[in-house]
Amino acid sequence: MKKVVSLVMAALLCMSALAGCSSTDGTSSTGGSSTTGGSSAAQTEGTGMSGAITVISREEGSGTRGAFVELMGVETDDGDMTTENAEIANSTSLVQNTVSGNKNSIGYISLGSYDSSAVKAVKVDGVEATVENIKAGKYAVSRPFVLCYKEENLTDLGKDFIKFILSAEGQAIVSEEGYITVNDEAESYTASGLTGNLSLNGSTSVGPVMEVLAEAYMGLNSGVTIDIQQTGSGTGITATIDGSCEIGMSSREIKDEELSQGLTAENIALDGIAVIVNQENTVEDLTSEQIRQIYTGEVTDWSEIG
Amino acid sequence: MKNKLKETVMHVVFFLTACVSIAAVLIICVYLLGNGIPTIAEIGLENFFGITWKPSKDLYGIVPFIVGSIYVTAGAIVVGVPIGILCAVYLAYFCPKKLYKILNPAVRLMAGIPSIVYGFFGLMVIVPVIQQLAGTSGKGLLTASILLGIMILPTIIGTAEPALRAVPGSYYEGALALGATHERSTFSVVLPAAKSGVMSGVILGVGRAIGETMAVIMIAGNQTKMPGGLLDGLRTMTSNIVLEMGYSTGLHRRALIATGVVLFVFILIINICFSLIKRGDKAS
Repeated sequence: MKKVVSLVMAALLCMSALAGCSSTDGTSSTGGSSTTGGSSAAQTEGTGMSGAITVISREEGSGTRGAFVELMGVETDDGDMTTENAEIANSTSLVQNTVSGNKNSIGYISLGSYDSSAVKAVKVDGVEATVENIKAGKYAVSRPFVLCYKEENLTDLGKDFIKFILSAEGQAIVSEEGYITVNDEAESYTASGLTGNLSLNGSTSVGPVMEVLAEAYMGLNSGVTIDIQQTGSGTGITATIDGSCEIGMSSREIKDEELSQGLTAENIALDGIAVIVNQENTVEDLTSEQIRQIYTGEVTDWSEIG
Repeated sequence: MKNKLKETVMHVVFFLTACVSIAAVLIICVYLLGNGIPTIAEIGLENFFGITWKPSKDLYGIVPFIVGSIYVTAGAIVVGVPIGILCAVYLAYFCPKKLYKILNPAVRLMAGIPSIVYGFFGLMVIVPVIQQLAGTSGKGLLTASILLGIMILPTIIGTAEPALRAVPGSYYEGALALGATHERSTFSVVLPAAKSGVMSGVILGVGRAIGETMAVIMIAGNQTKMPGGLLDGLRTMTSNIVLEMGYSTGLHRRALIATGVVLFVFILIINICFSLIKRGDKAS
C-alpha cells in the first residue's frame, strides 16, 4: 500500500517537473513543444487548423445559452443537444478568458462584451457580427434584452426609469455600449424629479449596460438610488415574481410559465451573440450548420472544417 | 446581590451566543432536508441517482457529480497529503529556527488566500502547463487535483504540526537512546505517536477539498458527463449548485438544493469520521 502511494507520488512529481520544462521550452523556442507529440504537435501553421476542438458552453438555464442553442438549431424537439464534452463556464468573462488561453477552443458571448484584443469573433454564414448587420437582420445570432415587472408592484419611479431607457437618451446609451436599440424614433426624456429607491435584479449580460443607464438616470434625477444585482436571468425573474425586487432583467424571452404569474415584459435592446475563437485560430468564417455540428459533437476536430 | 444579578445576566448572554450557532446548524438542516427530501421523492430515486443531468428534459441524475467530487477529493489527497505531512514533520523536527520564522507565516498565509485567487492561479498557470503537456484543453481532474492538493496543505499542516509537537519529548529521546538516528526516531516513533492528530488534519483537508467550489469551477471543465480519465473534465456537486443556481427555476432549482442534501450527507460522514478518530485518540 505504502509503496503504491509513493510510486504515484513520484510519478506526479516527475510530471510536474516535466511540466515546468515544457512550458519554458514552449515560450523560448516556438518549435520546441512539438517534441511532446500528440495533438499539441499537430497545430501546424499556415496549412489550416487542426486539433481537437474544445467546445466551451454556458451552463444550463443561462440566457445566452438559451438563445444560442435555439438560434443555432442545437436545441431540437429532444431538448438542448449541446455535447456532453463541452466545458461549462458560468460567466461571459470566464468564456472569454478560457478561449483566449486555448488555441483549439470555441465559445460564444454577448457581442457587447466582445473584446477583440483577447479573442476573435468569426463570421457566421459569411456575415460579420456587427451592430449594423444585426439591425439589418443579416446576422443570425441575436436575442432581446428584456425588463420584466409586476404591474401592481411597479412604482412611478420604476415606470419613469423604463420610460428613460426607452427614450432617445436611454437608447443612445444602449447603442454606445455596443448593443442594438429597439426604437430609433424614441422621444426625448425629461427629468421627472421623482425620488426614492429602485431595485433591479437579473441577467449578468444585461447588468453592465443597466449600470450605465442607472448612472445616467441618477445624474438626471438626483434624489434617486438604483440598486442593481447581477445574479442571472432566472434569479432576477423569480425575484420579480416574489416581489423582492421591482424590476427583473433577462437576456432571454420571458417564458409563458413566467408571464402567467403576473409579469409584464418590455424589450429594451437587442444583443448579438458573438461566436469566438482563439486569436491564433485561422478559421475566419463558419456556417450555422458547422457551428451546430461543433456544438452537438458531430464535428470534433478543426481539420474537419474546411 | 448586585453581583449575583450580573452573574445571571452574563449566564444568559453566554447561553444565547451558544444557542446562535446551534440554531444556525439546525435551521440549515431543517431547510435542506425539508426542501431536499420531498424533491428527491418527486424526481424519483432512479432518476436522481441516474447518470444523465439534463434539466431541460427533466433528467436530474447527479451520480456523475458525486463521482466527480470523490475523484477530485481523492486526487487532492494523493497530491496534498504526502506533501502536507512531510512538510509538517519538517516544520516540527527538521526546520532551522530562522527558516521556521519565514515558513510558518507563509503556511498560515496560504490558508488565508481566497479560493477564487487559487482558481485564477490554476486557470492562468496550471491549465496552460497541462494544455502543453497533454494536448487537451488543460481543464480536468488532474488540474483540479493538483490545485486542490495545494489548497488543502495549510489545513493539513496546521493540524498535523501541533500534533507532532505535542508528542512527549521522552518518545523522541527514548528512540535516540536506543540508537536510532534523528530521522528514524522522527518517522518511526514520533510520527506514529501523533497519528490521530495527523489523521484529523487529513480529514479536515478532505472536508475542505470536497466543499471547495469557486476554484474548482474555474479549472475542472464542468462537463455533465461521467468523468472518464485523469485528463477528462468533470463537475463536482458544489460546482453544479453554483453553476446552475443563477438561472434555474422550479424543479431544476429544487434539484440543486437536493444536490446540496447529498453533499451535506458527505460532509456529515466526514465529520463523524473526524469525531471517531478524536474519540479513539482519547480512549487510547
